[in-house]
Amino acid sequence: MDYKTALQIARANGEECIPTVCGMCGPGGPGGGCGIYAFVKDGRFTKVAGMDESPVNKGAICAKGHAAPQWVYSPDRLTHPLKRIGKKGEGKFEKIGWDAAIDHIAGVLTRQKQTYGAESLAILSPAKRSYSEYLHRFLTAHGSPNYGHSGICYMQREFAFCYTLGDFPRPDCDQSDLIIYWGRQPVYSGPVARPARAFLAARQRGAKIIAIKPSVEPDVGLADIWVPVRPGTDAALALAMLHVVIGEDLIDNAFVEKWCYGFKRLQAHVRQYDPGWAENISGVPAAQIEEVARLYATTPRAAIDLGNGVEHTPSASDTIRAVAILMAVTGHLDRPGGNIFTLPPKVAPKDILLTERYTQELVNKLVGPEFPLAFQPFLEGPTSAYYRILESVLTEKPYPVRAVIAPGTQASVSTRGTKNVLAALRKLDFFVVVDVARTADMPYADIVMPVATSYEVDHPFQMVPGWLMATNPVVEPVGSPKSIFEFFLDLGNAMGYGDDFWNGDIEAAMAEQLEPLGMDMSELRAKKSGVTYQPGPPVYEKYEKVFSRRSERLDHRPYLPQGKVALYNTTFERAGFTPLPIWREPPESLSATAELSEKFPLILSDYHTSKNYSASWQRNVPHLREIQPDPVLHIHPEAASARQIQGNDWVKVTSPHGWLKVKAEIYPGIRPDTIMILHGWWQGCRELGARDYPLADGGANVNTMYSVDPQKAYDPLVTAMASQTLVQVEKFEES
Amino acid sequence: MPASEKEYLISFEPEKCTQCHGCEIACKAWRELDYGVQFRRVLNLWQGDYPLVKNVSLSLACLHCVEPACAAECPEGAISKHIEDGLVVVDETLCNGCGICAEACSYGVPQFGKNGIMQKCDLCRGQQLAQAAPPCVDTCPGEALSYIEVGRPAKKVHEERITRLLRSE
Repeated sequence: MDYKTALQIARANGEECIPTVCGMCGPGGPGGGCGIYAFVKDGRFTKVAGMDESPVNKGAICAKGHAAPQWVYSPDRLTHPLKRIGKKGEGKFEKIGWDAAIDHIAGVLTRQKQTYGAESLAILSPAKRSYSEYLHRFLTAHGSPNYGHSGICYMQREFAFCYTLGDFPRPDCDQSDLIIYWGRQPVYSGPVARPARAFLAARQRGAKIIAIKPSVEPDVGLADIWVPVRPGTDAALALAMLHVVIGEDLIDNAFVEKWCYGFKRLQAHVRQYDPGWAENISGVPAAQIEEVARLYATTPRAAIDLGNGVEHTPSASDTIRAVAILMAVTGHLDRPGGNIFTLPPKVAPKDILLTERYTQELVNKLVGPEFPLAFQPFLEGPTSAYYRILESVLTEKPYPVRAVIAPGTQASVSTRGTKNVLAALRKLDFFVVVDVARTADMPYADIVMPVATSYEVDHPFQMVPGWLMATNPVVEPVGSPKSIFEFFLDLGNAMGYGDDFWNGDIEAAMAEQLEPLGMDMSELRAKKSGVTYQPGPPVYEKYEKVFSRRSERLDHRPYLPQGKVALYNTTFERAGFTPLPIWREPPESLSATAELSEKFPLILSDYHTSKNYSASWQRNVPHLREIQPDPVLHIHPEAASARQIQGNDWVKVTSPHGWLKVKAEIYPGIRPDTIMILHGWWQGCRELGARDYPLADGGANVNTMYSVDPQKAYDPLVTAMASQTLVQVEKFEES
Repeated sequence: MPASEKEYLISFEPEKCTQCHGCEIACKAWRELDYGVQFRRVLNLWQGDYPLVKNVSLSLACLHCVEPACAAECPEGAISKHIEDGLVVVDETLCNGCGICAEACSYGVPQFGKNGIMQKCDLCRGQQLAQAAPPCVDTCPGEALSYIEVGRPAKKVHEERITRLLRSE
């Protein structure tokens, strides 16, 4: 609805109406935000409407957005800073004051820095959030490069795309006649945002939709073709598609000649990857691989929306490179309806990353580089892989991280290897949890810092493509009056980094970042539904510019040394990696570890996003929990009946690494050889009487099921961790 | 029961629904429903077998049927259909919460919260919404839901369509 209507409704009901940004995709708000009208009655946040004026959500808002008041008032909210008084893992704390907690953390970090060096501190990164830059800034000011990026989402695509094409090529869905959603969920990641709406619009326009994924989700119901690929085998599929389009000469020869490097070597390389070979690995019939390859190559306006589903496997980077190459050789790059390069916006807030302080010395201290050192820093600065930071605590190689701050992230349910993660949290010298509500890792924390939701504070401002909006406080803080931004400002100040942290003044921090946009917070706040920026007219075929784009490495040499698409990648070759994309098996699979498949005949993988939860958060919110009350296992009717399993039966799922107790949902839309479960289950919901689940064996945390073998479980370039294994499923018997 | 003069409907187009459940939760939040009570629910319906299996979405609430089975079966005469706008309404003073209406309704609409009285979608009649559509309609990203006035024959066609969709499960 529009502002006028929202005000009229509020007036008629004796309520207040506050325009602001939705904060449900994580504390402090997500990287992007939807515009909302928040309604308040007698000082209590009651309900939400989507803001028509926001170009992000255009008046719509999702289930999570509507459930915001229940999240704010949850009994799981953290209200006081806590200091551990029991053993690690016991969860015994005493209340302390905010300032005392900040001083305590600053004291420990200062002593550790003197004894072990600044790199002994790591900060674990949540998904990209509006506060992400503050985490980097804090680490850089402190002198540590150990920003723990997940190795689970998004940067794998950025990396492989940048080093193959120079940039991330966005699908131009608005003008496509064919869109391939590949390992991609266009709905759950943001059901009211642009990608979901573009998907629906394309469908209604009559564009052909192809969905490549192991199971049927809502987008598959609206697709023309479903390609039911085995989890983690997308590289085989992409290589076979290259085999078809190159073998049948369905390529744009003029583009290849002018703008691609190494075609002859690629041509010879992909000859080995015929569709029959890929069928054995991926389970996709060879005829369907040929059909999809030909359709894509011969449709002039065809786009690929490549998603997170391809990023959790040892050949993640190869998949992305192969898909990038497919876009290039078929002439679909930066042309209408294809995959286009987006130039940076003309105006943007000031970057606060302190990139000028990045040095080789800093980079060399990375405890577990997310990308090999030769490719550091990348887009987010120097980064260590999230899991490897925790692993270093156990292995003490190359050195043990001594302190970890977890701001809005839960290591035991967010990354793989749960048992090792819990052992690391138990062993870690100093662990700080910063969150709005109880987290899975909290019992292991030395200090717990409660922070406000974005409905309770007046910052930050949100800048997303085409829209700038103030965060306006909806209600008085329920828990802590301080935000996660203020936590880092206060800690920075207490550590003696006040000059880098606006001396603790959040207003000054906002003002500095807003300055390039030509306004201050009060001017922005006066614009009730924010400021909208119109995109300029599209410019296509920007090959010269994009293919010469400079990298984020310290030498800033271009991503593409030849100024052309790297079909044959000399940069990777020089650093000791494969110059052409190859197939690498997951740690356990039907095609690679046949000896396991008698005992463990089914493939297990997990869903990264869901319709109603933000990763491992928000199972405590009753409205959301009612949509999805139990951790369910999607299992094909044949696989279920072969095991005498019926719908709603509790089942035991066992892999070589752990076991889960979950509920069976008989699911006709899944490969019969594959089962899937949503990741992130641990939290109960007190209002509905739902208890917490165990974090490791016997719980519903899928991360405990996978291999973390350093030799098998990782992609060598992007540290993607495998989320595929082999399992057996049986009815759960109480013993 | 005399024929209604007008019929209203929140229509649903499956090809515009992504099963985000926004409508379902907008309804719960705006109408402050008890836990477990749903005026509107989003269903995933299966058609066919692997690998040609399809799923179809359905956002379902009270259809305010032309000939409501719930009203016909209610032993207390607590459910009636308005002549002027076709709304099917529950008289809370007459309903004893026996649940016979829930058995009679083939769409699974009647709900029973803390007070044990039947409750369901009333098309947000009586709510202060200014010129806005009911929250379920207003919040939908795909505009799959529309609040419309229809004739009796069109309402019946809609009822039959929903019945067919539900049978596919």
